[in-house]
Amino acid sequence: MRSGMIRQALRRNPWAFLGPGATQALAAALVTIGLCALASLDGAPLTAAQRATMTEQGVADIGVLFLVASIYLSILIVGVTMSTAIADQARDLALFRTVGATPARVRRAIAAQAALVAVPATIAGVPLGLLFGYWWVQGLVGHGIVPGEVTFRVHGGTVPIAFAVTIGTSLFGAMIAAIRPARLRPAVALAEAAAGSRSGRVRTPLGLLLVGGGLALSVVISGLDAETADNAGLFVMLAMCFGTGMLGPVLLRMAAPVARLFGPVGRVAADNVVARSRSLSGALVPLTLAVGFAAFTIVLGSTTEHVTGVAMTAADRWLTYAGTGVYALYAAIAAVNTLITVMQGRRRDPAVLRLVGATRGHTLRVVICEALVVTATALAAGSVVAAATLLPLLHTALGTWLPWVPPPFLAGGIIGTAALVVAGLALPAAAMLRHPPIEAIG
Amino acid sequence: MESVISMTSVSRRYPRGVVALRDVSLDVPAGQFVAVMGATGSGKSTLLHCAAGLDLPTGGQVRLAGHDLTTMGEAQRTRLRRDHAGFVFQAYNLLSELSVRQNVALPFRLGGPRRHTVDEVLAQVGLAGFGKRPVGELSGGQRQRVAIARALVTAPAVVFADEPTGALDPTTGGRILALLRAAADRDGAAVLMVTHDPAAAAWSDRLVLLHDGEIAHDGPAPAAAEIADRLRGVSAVAA
Repeated sequence: MRSGMIRQALRRNPWAFLGPGATQALAAALVTIGLCALASLDGAPLTAAQRATMTEQGVADIGVLFLVASIYLSILIVGVTMSTAIADQARDLALFRTVGATPARVRRAIAAQAALVAVPATIAGVPLGLLFGYWWVQGLVGHGIVPGEVTFRVHGGTVPIAFAVTIGTSLFGAMIAAIRPARLRPAVALAEAAAGSRSGRVRTPLGLLLVGGGLALSVVISGLDAETADNAGLFVMLAMCFGTGMLGPVLLRMAAPVARLFGPVGRVAADNVVARSRSLSGALVPLTLAVGFAAFTIVLGSTTEHVTGVAMTAADRWLTYAGTGVYALYAAIAAVNTLITVMQGRRRDPAVLRLVGATRGHTLRVVICEALVVTATALAAGSVVAAATLLPLLHTALGTWLPWVPPPFLAGGIIGTAALVVAGLALPAAAMLRHPPIEAIG
Repeated sequence: MESVISMTSVSRRYPRGVVALRDVSLDVPAGQFVAVMGATGSGKSTLLHCAAGLDLPTGGQVRLAGHDLTTMGEAQRTRLRRDHAGFVFQAYNLLSELSVRQNVALPFRLGGPRRHTVDEVLAQVGLAGFGKRPVGELSGGQRQRVAIARALVTAPAVVFADEPTGALDPTTGGRILALLRAAADRDGAAVLMVTHDPAAAAWSDRLVLLHDGEIAHDGPAPAAAEIADRLRGVSAVAA
């Protein structure tokens, strides 16, 4: 394929591929960690009694759990970052469609980009995963979670499986992102490239259906026994995560008016959030995931301690925090990448603000205000996801509806999320503001 | 001989009830240069988009180079456009990261007919020797000439131009219009140009004035001053 479509896409805004590249590298690393944990536990010279104890304590299939969670997370997060990268090309794709690229051809070019990005990302991610995997297995042994006979082993299928997961998730995300630009009539695509696209007619109802289904399931399992509720909890979480992901633009548009309370700067920021709700929701999804997932695991542990009065063992604590930490870090990196891509894609906006008379400080305050709207929305949506998953489990297992949130976690979560979003939006904006505005316009 | 563009009772109505075109019929033979004018919102861009198959009318029929666009699928319509139509836009719409040559060669890299070489069309638009230059380095007038070279490289039956001189000064714009004029006279292409500049419209053979989605005037193009008067006349009806 020598049409130049791929070259144009990769060269025009290389930053746009930072997000998919970084998240795919991390997906490859997570899959490698899971596979190596699996191989290390399976391959260790353990007695039947030791294995029975591990199964009883629920650590025998820790590798499988980690692997499955990593793949689910990768589908969502790689998909989101890939679609942000594709959305960034709307104008070029509209032009290709006008001068004679058929919808199928546009889809093929987008698929090729996805695969091209996945290859170097995987090559970078697998060694990283081996390093983290080694550290994790050492940690499991060091904290006495698994017997001392367990040593770090590399799974034989690591490289092919990592490639399959990254290329697979990348293609999946890209193909979903390609539906719209490939199918649109060029006249509509050209107009949208100039004015920004309207929200989907399928996306919002589907999001409502998923969130509604998740909440309904959450209510239903509250009345069942603890074990069933425990098993069904995963589905509540998945439905809520995918659902809030689809509702992202709507949620941001609902949250934006809050910014208007903060004077003229807030009003400009609110308008920007509404106008960019679709692209900003690409950052909202991983943030919501990180907040929801971290809140769920940590509050589950803390409430159990609070209600039963029995402190978690050091080993349990380590397991919870190491796993949650890795996932939250992954989602956080995805969110920052997406925010940087969004900011790069709209470099004209701060320049236009300055040309009509805003100072640098003023412009930066607008961007920070936008960042805070995104943060607040992510915290609220993440809390709802966590609550829907958590409350039935607390009720069935502990007989309480009241979660116990440790204040340091609450404060840390809010400050951490805000810091991430501000870093992702305001730092690139500050860098752009160092150049004369007319350069960005020309 | 059949017209290159043939629109019969074409209407385009948008979902919220806005009517951009109502019952418009327009036939353009080969070698004719048509200027479409009208106030902002009169439907001129919609007319061009529907004639080119970039958009579909909600009523009526559009034939391009003998094929009925309204019954085709998206991919079929795309190939028809690729093989028989060239496009020039106000915002140039070139690919910023590719060279002049790569931009001009785009239609046949996408499978279009190779009826001219890139060097031939670059020479025609006065850009011989510019092939290797990145388009990012060119001036506005040069970029628009690259866009015209790209439009002409497949020797299309029709060239669609949407405000091609909108971003250019009168002298530079004049060179662009001369190239479109030559596409009609020398190559026998039908040229359909949307503009709101009377001086640009004066280069055409035929003037179509749109008002509120309907054709208010259709006749031979007079001189620029008279075009400006007619345009004011039509707009006055609107006001």
